[in-house]
Amino acid sequence: MNREFSLIGRPTPYIDGLDKAMGRTRFVSDLVRPHMLHGAVLRSPHAHARILNIDPAKARALPGVRAVITFADTPGIKYGPRSEDWYILARDKALFHGHEVAAVAAVDLDTAARALELIEVEYEPLPAVIDPLEALEEGAPLVHPESGTNLAAEFKIESGEVDRSLDESHYVYQDRYYTNQVYQSYLEPMGALAQWDGQGRLELFAGTQIPNMMRMTYAKALGLAPDRIRVIVPDYGGAFGAKMEHNTHLIAALLAREADRPVRLFHSREEDFLAGNPRVPMYYDITLGLDKDGRLKAKDVTVTGAAGARLVYAQIIVATACYRVDSLYNFKHVRAKGLTAYTNTAPTSCFRGFGNSQGTFVLESALDMAARELRIDPAELRRINDLGPNSTSIHDWKINSNGLRECIDRATAAAGWEEKRRNKKPYKGIGLACCNHVSGNRPFAREFDGGAGIVRIGRDGRAKVFHGESDMGQGQKTVFALIAAERLGVPLEMVEVADVDTDMSPFGFGSFATRGTLMGGNGVLRAAENAFEQLAQVAADMLEANPLDLVCREGRWFVEGSPDTSLGWLEVTEEITLRRRGAPVVGTGFYEPPTVMPDPETKKGNISPAYPFACQVAQVEVDPETGQVKVVGFYAAHDVGRALNPLALEGQIQGGVAMGLGWTLTENMAYDPEGRLINNDFLDYVLPGFGDVPRIKPILVEPIEKEGPYGAKGIGEPALNPSMAAITNAIYDAVGVRVRELPVNPEKLLAEMEKLRKEKKGCVSGTQP
Amino acid sequence: MNNPAASAPQERHRVVLEITVNGRPERLEIEPRQTLLEVLRDGLGLMGAKEGCGSGKCGACTVLLEGRPINSCILLAVQAQGAEVTTIEGLAKNGRPHPLQQAFVDKGAIQCGFCTPGMILTAKALLDKNPDPGPEEIEEHLSGNLCRCTGYSKIVEAVLSAAEEMKGGRS
Repeated sequence: MNREFSLIGRPTPYIDGLDKAMGRTRFVSDLVRPHMLHGAVLRSPHAHARILNIDPAKARALPGVRAVITFADTPGIKYGPRSEDWYILARDKALFHGHEVAAVAAVDLDTAARALELIEVEYEPLPAVIDPLEALEEGAPLVHPESGTNLAAEFKIESGEVDRSLDESHYVYQDRYYTNQVYQSYLEPMGALAQWDGQGRLELFAGTQIPNMMRMTYAKALGLAPDRIRVIVPDYGGAFGAKMEHNTHLIAALLAREADRPVRLFHSREEDFLAGNPRVPMYYDITLGLDKDGRLKAKDVTVTGAAGARLVYAQIIVATACYRVDSLYNFKHVRAKGLTAYTNTAPTSCFRGFGNSQGTFVLESALDMAARELRIDPAELRRINDLGPNSTSIHDWKINSNGLRECIDRATAAAGWEEKRRNKKPYKGIGLACCNHVSGNRPFAREFDGGAGIVRIGRDGRAKVFHGESDMGQGQKTVFALIAAERLGVPLEMVEVADVDTDMSPFGFGSFATRGTLMGGNGVLRAAENAFEQLAQVAADMLEANPLDLVCREGRWFVEGSPDTSLGWLEVTEEITLRRRGAPVVGTGFYEPPTVMPDPETKKGNISPAYPFACQVAQVEVDPETGQVKVVGFYAAHDVGRALNPLALEGQIQGGVAMGLGWTLTENMAYDPEGRLINNDFLDYVLPGFGDVPRIKPILVEPIEKEGPYGAKGIGEPALNPSMAAITNAIYDAVGVRVRELPVNPEKLLAEMEKLRKEKKGCVSGTQP
Repeated sequence: MNNPAASAPQERHRVVLEITVNGRPERLEIEPRQTLLEVLRDGLGLMGAKEGCGSGKCGACTVLLEGRPINSCILLAVQAQGAEVTTIEGLAKNGRPHPLQQAFVDKGAIQCGFCTPGMILTAKALLDKNPDPGPEEIEEHLSGNLCRCTGYSKIVEAVLSAAEEMKGGRS
């Protein structure tokens, strides 16, 4: 087989997989330091309460307690990743059930827990507001009274002539959807190990997706210059969007400073439920107009999302829900309004999909309704509106590669779409949904976007890659090693990838917005190129050849076309190190994407260098007795640009779909009327388990992307985006009930099925339940 | 998690625990309220077993007690008095990974890896009992272990592949 690449494109086991399988990996919560203390946080039992008094005296007097802190012991600086409405500990009010009120560090966790009980807090409970629509009503309790409103942010976008185009539409669909609050459920809870050195410099070991941005935010919170903080990211157990800035890290830092000892502070699972950063719940009103041939005419949406008690990234997520999906198809007229409301709930934030998962669920549900009404095959309806490659979307996004059509063709073919639709069986259904996404999001990165890398090669020939993104388990280290090894021409075993350390690594923006492979990978590729060129100079010298004619394959240097005269990789790294008097080869490089900050008014502008697409097909069975839904088949076709590591891509797709399945069918964070989270463990919050997830069939579609490293785009978020609508569209196909609210409630589903039956008996026509 | 090495703030009742861990006899002074997970991690430095939920619902803390998978986060260490415990660190033979460990790597059944030690040990208990399980049996047996990364498909493939390997390779 004539291969274009030595390594790229082969299913490659993770380079750190064996350590994980052997139990040798030290996860961040496994770290131990001599004389390390254990932190614990006192949290508000109320969703909203005035703190009348805090007395930590008894806790401080408990033997074994080394630090107790309340608001008075914090810098008292307002901060936050985007909107500065955070304090490290609650000041005079607790704003959600789980809000951080005080913290202790003690010699062991038992002592810390006893100390928490000894902190006396006097609360005056206040009325709480949980629902974002209620939060925006006149007279609602105010979460931040100083701002005079619960409206935390408003986003507007409009392009074309929406009203006229809706008037001219042959079919107009209008409905309200609700997407609920769900929890990322990574298996390693959030936390940090914090220690200060003798010069007053903080070392923070944390599982974080954004080590460099986090450092800037924390510098502000602590009133320090960023160079006083070093963030190190060891291996950590999953994130899915949640592991960004968090008060817990800073509480650990303050406890460590107060106690003058290293402090390890990790959430219990219950705390992680209470005060993690779950998905932004949204009301989503949509009006969608189409002509009779199925061409999209116009879309008008209003999104109302709950930010919780402080803004993490909810406002950007609501904005994304408003408009990202507009670039999936050939829209000409769109309008959206996004309202982000403060509520007395856990602060909500990023979760795989970042608003686009919500927007996709609603649009793809609406299109399914339109397809039935217009009697067009749902797959065909998408094809009709496909933007195609080398196109520009309504918001001026420059779409180079676009594999949507092939995704639709291959997912439907694999699923037996037409045959199954022809031979429809009672209570069995098939549905599909598509999505687009980004590989980097310029307005989120703000200052610049791009990626950078460093490749260091020493005398022993080993190449060490430094990057500034974050491997949370998605396989980033492996893909960076693949890119570097491919470019250098060495076996994969010669390359290792360093943990991110803000003292050593490039200033990467991190792993979010499905950007790691494209942005970080391009940075690593260019760094490897730079190292290669340095080595090629010396190799050329040794071979008496022109460096531009040299190649290196599987660790051997030779003139292209003349492999018989060659040099070993080690011979060259040895020679260059001696010539340079011990200096290693250090290759650096960066990638500058062709993106712009969108216009503040029109929001037009290319926000990402590349856009992945997908089509997923779900098959379901609905139990007519119980209303339980079982997903029995799933086919997920994804445009990934070039597949750098098919094994990891399949894993991302299967994991994303399983997560979407959980969201659709069982997962829901439930609050009681007083705003207390009712289900804060894995018994009452139901994740999909082995028996709930079908064998998911991933299909890799590879339209080579010119902006990607070796042609690749990202996969993380699109893996989940269409899953919810694919399943609910299959439910519609099975029983004729449109699911407008996640998760599917079997009782409600049964009731609607019953209603439909009665309507049919009464000979009432009409397609909508 | 507790650190018994740190100076105890108060007089605490201690008992002697004698257990065999990965074939090695161990004798430790522990507090009766300590879980087996705490003793393994903080007392013996075996960090492979993880605390994912602390209430026996996720399976990340799974170890084998007399060959049976148990949630070590809800088992008091004293309940393991005199017993034989196997942790993920004890599966390799002469430095060679167990076929399950190798299959999890090769089949892509690991992403973040936090659930992996518990998954592998639970699967080992199954293969010890039934060397030739079908996919449904694997799913059933592993149903107490949660994974949030992989969507489970590749884990089932890995266990099937390890079973195949073990049938062919060794007795």
